[in-house]
Amino acid sequence: MYKGREGQWAFLLHRISGLAILVYLLLHVFSIGSMIFGEPFYMKIHNTYDFVLFRLGLVAVVAAVVYHAFNGLRIILMDFTSIGVSVQRQAWYGVLGITALATLYALIKLIPRIAGGY
Amino acid sequence: MTQTPVTDSAVNPQVAAAPVAVDVPMMRLHVKILRFNPETDKKAHWVTYDMEAQPGDRMVDVLNEIKWYKETGLAFRRSCQHGICGSDAMLINGRNRLACKTLVRDVAKDGGTVTVEPIRGLKVEKDLLVDMEPFFDAYRAIMPYFIHPTPFPAKEQYQSEANAEKMAHSSNCILCACCTTSCPIFWVNGSYIGPAALVQAHRFIFDTRDEAKQQRLGVVNQNTGVWRCRTAYNCTEACPRGIPITQLIEEVKREVMFGQS
Ligand code: SF4
Ligand code: SF4
Ligand code: FES
Repeated sequence: MYKGREGQWAFLLHRISGLAILVYLLLHVFSIGSMIFGEPFYMKIHNTYDFVLFRLGLVAVVAAVVYHAFNGLRIILMDFTSIGVSVQRQAWYGVLGITALATLYALIKLIPRIAGGY
Repeated sequence: MTQTPVTDSAVNPQVAAAPVAVDVPMMRLHVKILRFNPETDKKAHWVTYDMEAQPGDRMVDVLNEIKWYKETGLAFRRSCQHGICGSDAMLINGRNRLACKTLVRDVAKDGGTVTVEPIRGLKVEKDLLVDMEPFFDAYRAIMPYFIHPTPFPAKEQYQSEANAEKMAHSSNCILCACCTTSCPIFWVNGSYIGPAALVQAHRFIFDTRDEAKQQRLGVVNQNTGVWRCRTAYNCTEACPRGIPITQLIEEVKREVMFGQS
């Protein structure tokens, strides 16, 4: 692995979170849209989502969306202002902080659902 | 490098002996080089050389020592050995650097290991030697020469200090490829013209006397151009000339958006 610094990891995480959100979105659209094949099919899909892994996935989705959104703002700042470039490192730690807080909040809020299912 | 340092005069009596600090303790180090011989190897493989060096020696000295006294077949580029020609970019301990600007004490402890690999994203021809042609193709694409008004101006074209300042960073580039071959986008997509070519483009786009600004903006606005940059900053960290590359690339992006007519 190339020993890049903050910028490299910011970029990599942005890519990964972006792809993850895309996959989530496609899955989401498909499962909601599956209603057109009738309710039994729709329910079958949604019962699979009761797996612990999917329940935990909700927290991951929050983390990915919040990271992608705030790092996106960081990128806009870098693209449009020279200050953005000079504080890119600090801005990234800010993004990580916000992501951590939001993830923690989501985790706390979702504990009942993760533990008990629907 | 050896206990009694071999000076240039021992190799070539015509050359005066360089002053050698004899009382500086020697460091032992394992130099691990990713070697590849296209005639015999299918894959690159690591070879470790046990060396001794003074902390203030440069990595290029250590490589020279290996080439001259241990492994004459070792292939790597170097020329000026003073950070000017840009020949000896390599991946030392996981980061792109010029071997002639990297001191041993900055990359290894006594008894430690230093890894040396060819720069990434370009075809390895032998050992640390890569095919630089794609890199220079990208350089040529941005038209790296000054285009003067026609007819040729009769008088000197005045350059103010403030305008010269705009090119102060980009004109420092030595085309070593440390930046382009540290860029994750370039590794994945070799058709991206890369940070070095963009630094060169910046040099002429922000030259107020140059006549081909719009043409150059057109070149960097292509889909292999400036928009491929995803601001990963590896280039900026790697540049041995301290050029704030990402900042320059962002200036080029803004010039494409707001300065293109
Ligand atoms: S911008 Fe810096 S790293 Fe890139 S080629 Fe020029 S001198 Fe080398
Ligand atoms: S800032 Fe742009 S050009 Fe430089 S390494 Fe990152 S993606 Fe590549
Ligand atoms: S040998 Fe010329 S830059 Fe290192």
